[in-house]
Amino acid sequence: MPVGLSVDGALGYPSPSRPFRPSRYVPVSAATAFLVGASTLFLCFTCPWLAERFSSSIPLYNVVVFLFTLANFSMATFMDPGIFPRAEEDEDKEDDFRAPLYKTVEVRGIQVRMKWCSTCRFYRPPRCSHCSVCDNCVEEFDHHCPWVNNCIGRRNYRYFFLFLLSLTIHIMNVFGFSLLYILHHTKHLDQVDSGVTMAVMCVSGLFFVPVAGLTGFHIVLVARGRTTNEQVTGKFRGGVNPFTHGCLKNIAHVLCGSQAPRYLGRLRKPHSVQVQPPFLRPPLSEAQLEAKAVDNGIQQSKSSLEIMESQSTDADPPPPPKPEHKYPGLPHTQNEAFFQSECSLLTEAPPTPSLYKYRPAYSSPGKNHTASTHSSKMSRGNSMTESPSVPVTTGQLSYRSDPSLSSRGGAGCRGGGEGGKAGSGGLGGASTFGGRSYPSFTDTLLQSAAASCSSSLRSAHTAHNALGPLISEGTTSTSYKSLANQTRNGSLSYESLLTHSESPEFESAAHELSPPRPHPPHSLSTAAGAPPISGYTSPFLSAQQREGSLQACPAPLRPSPNRAFLRPTSSPPSRAPPLSPRARSLGSPPPGPAPGHTPLGKSLSYGGGAELQHRPSSSGGGTPMPNSTIKQNVANHNTPSHKPVGGVKKVTGVGGTTYGISV
Amino acid sequence: MATEFHNLQELHHSASLATKVFIQRDYRDGTICKFQTKFPTELDSRIEKSLFEETLKTLNCYYAETEKIGGQSYLEGCLACATAYIIFLCMETPYEKILKKISMYIQEHNEKIYAPRGLLLTDPIERGMRVIEISIFEDSGSTSSSGSSPSSSTAQ
Repeated sequence: MPVGLSVDGALGYPSPSRPFRPSRYVPVSAATAFLVGASTLFLCFTCPWLAERFSSSIPLYNVVVFLFTLANFSMATFMDPGIFPRAEEDEDKEDDFRAPLYKTVEVRGIQVRMKWCSTCRFYRPPRCSHCSVCDNCVEEFDHHCPWVNNCIGRRNYRYFFLFLLSLTIHIMNVFGFSLLYILHHTKHLDQVDSGVTMAVMCVSGLFFVPVAGLTGFHIVLVARGRTTNEQVTGKFRGGVNPFTHGCLKNIAHVLCGSQAPRYLGRLRKPHSVQVQPPFLRPPLSEAQLEAKAVDNGIQQSKSSLEIMESQSTDADPPPPPKPEHKYPGLPHTQNEAFFQSECSLLTEAPPTPSLYKYRPAYSSPGKNHTASTHSSKMSRGNSMTESPSVPVTTGQLSYRSDPSLSSRGGAGCRGGGEGGKAGSGGLGGASTFGGRSYPSFTDTLLQSAAASCSSSLRSAHTAHNALGPLISEGTTSTSYKSLANQTRNGSLSYESLLTHSESPEFESAAHELSPPRPHPPHSLSTAAGAPPISGYTSPFLSAQQREGSLQACPAPLRPSPNRAFLRPTSSPPSRAPPLSPRARSLGSPPPGPAPGHTPLGKSLSYGGGAELQHRPSSSGGGTPMPNSTIKQNVANHNTPSHKPVGGVKKVTGVGGTTYGISV
Repeated sequence: MATEFHNLQELHHSASLATKVFIQRDYRDGTICKFQTKFPTELDSRIEKSLFEETLKTLNCYYAETEKIGGQSYLEGCLACATAYIIFLCMETPYEKILKKISMYIQEHNEKIYAPRGLLLTDPIERGMRVIEISIFEDSGSTSSSGSSPSSSTAQ
């Protein structure tokens, strides 16, 4: 069926014209030929005798069944399955750069992921899927049927199902009555009629098995309220299907539901309404006025912070607009609450306060709170720094686009939360996520994602110990080193991360930033040479930046053994946050960051490392990790491909996490 | 409604599209067509919450009506089968009828309620029933003159 045509005769706007591929029409032509041809032959050669011998109602019955089959076949072939029109540009203008790849919605108590479709530019509604053959998102996508050369979706599933049923019955009729004919003409098999009837019988017998099998399969699907897509991808294998209403209601919905309208090719009425000022405004209540007054004050600090941020990230594209209206109806708070509420839209649990403990170095502790209000940037960054397990949970791809710092943070939050729900490996997303500023973070993501599918973003904080062992050598110390170098300069590591987020940039940045280093980190070069992990590349990243970030982050994703990295989020050593999640990821809670630590000395503005190093000397509490263990681990876990160069000490935490500490 | 200042700019009476708000679908009850009734913050200063919520509730009711599986939909199915679906070429399905009603409703509300407030609702069917798009217009003449932002003294 040509793209864009529907039985309603409208030319839609589903997708740009694709090259004409005649091979697409072979199965449907064959199916049509067999159906029409065999039935016609049967009606012409066999039915006259049947009418004469038994009753004329037999041919009539066969004709009716044949016409019914043909009608359903035509409807399944030519009807628009429920193609979504492409979203307009303004609908996703913010999603492109900062939005996560997945959004989670709750459907009847069950979390369902909505994936961003980069072709159609919207988050696919539940049960919607993008057909690669037709290059369209289809509502309640069942499958793409080559025999009708059309997608089967919400609008035409009923016709497809009825087609299968009627075809099965028709095949049985044809086969049965042909057999009857043959049995009565055993002595006249050399006649033309008999020959044709035998051929028809063979064809129908041949097609009966697969058609009946498919029909049975779809009967089960209808009874269960599932689509083929859901069945074969095992979406509800162990769990509950939120889209089922019970067997009878499911059948009623398929067979008796009203015909859904098409979305494409509708006559668009031009807006006849004139919008002209002056505009009415609703009167503000007292509470609103008060809120406004307060709001203005906070807005000021927000904007100043914005300016600050934009100045510090001059190497990056200008910060994207605030995402407030991405989530309509969300309380428009400028504090952590915004971050929390935003995340809660996607996840269940609110972020823990510790998210804000690892604010980037450049923002003073006093500004933490206000900085966090700039949720699009800071808080998300914080969330990322929070714990390696945060986005890890399932390695969900949090961000489609090459994340800015803000997106990174947000990705961390959202990715983790959503990851917690879904539990399947969207590892490609992790790469993107980590691509910019937290490559090692991404790595941790991957490891944890692989291991723990059920931990949510919030529960990640409590699962650090569990995740510690999961953080394996897959992490590369490349980005770690780059980050370490950056922090050594005393520059705001947060800043540096923004500036040198992509690994190639990392490598160059590392060289730029660490001229005093005697040896350029080997890992960088080796990492550069590492092939990108194709498995982690999400096919749904459309923006070049995202692709670039994906490619830019192969090193951290590459499972090079014994490469550890600490959370790239740097917190100033002078700050004394517990750094608990990070430390926990190391398998040991931080004893308390030694205030005397300087980034230079430890290269671990990633507090965990610093803490590790100084644990023996610190009096802080937490799980003690004996020095000997560290040294031993250092010895044991040295990457063969990477030798400690230029004063990089390998330190291993509990569970085998290796950290390269540049000394 | 009286504007205190009369500026040359005001006399232009032009509105420019400032931003768009998208009301997303509410999937809590499954794939039935239902939109979130949360009041978006962008509209806070543009329209009364009650009006907006009433509009959305009505729309949701209309959509719920379309998806009802009852006698009418069953009859429609049987008739379609009996006529080998040729009936679809001649007759309008009940769903389409309700969609027309919805379209009329939205247009009416646009004329009476939303356009005077500088807002415009877009029929969700144009977006594949995924979002309700609300365009927010700003008085392009208001930026140049102080106090010309029309604040209606009449509360609706």
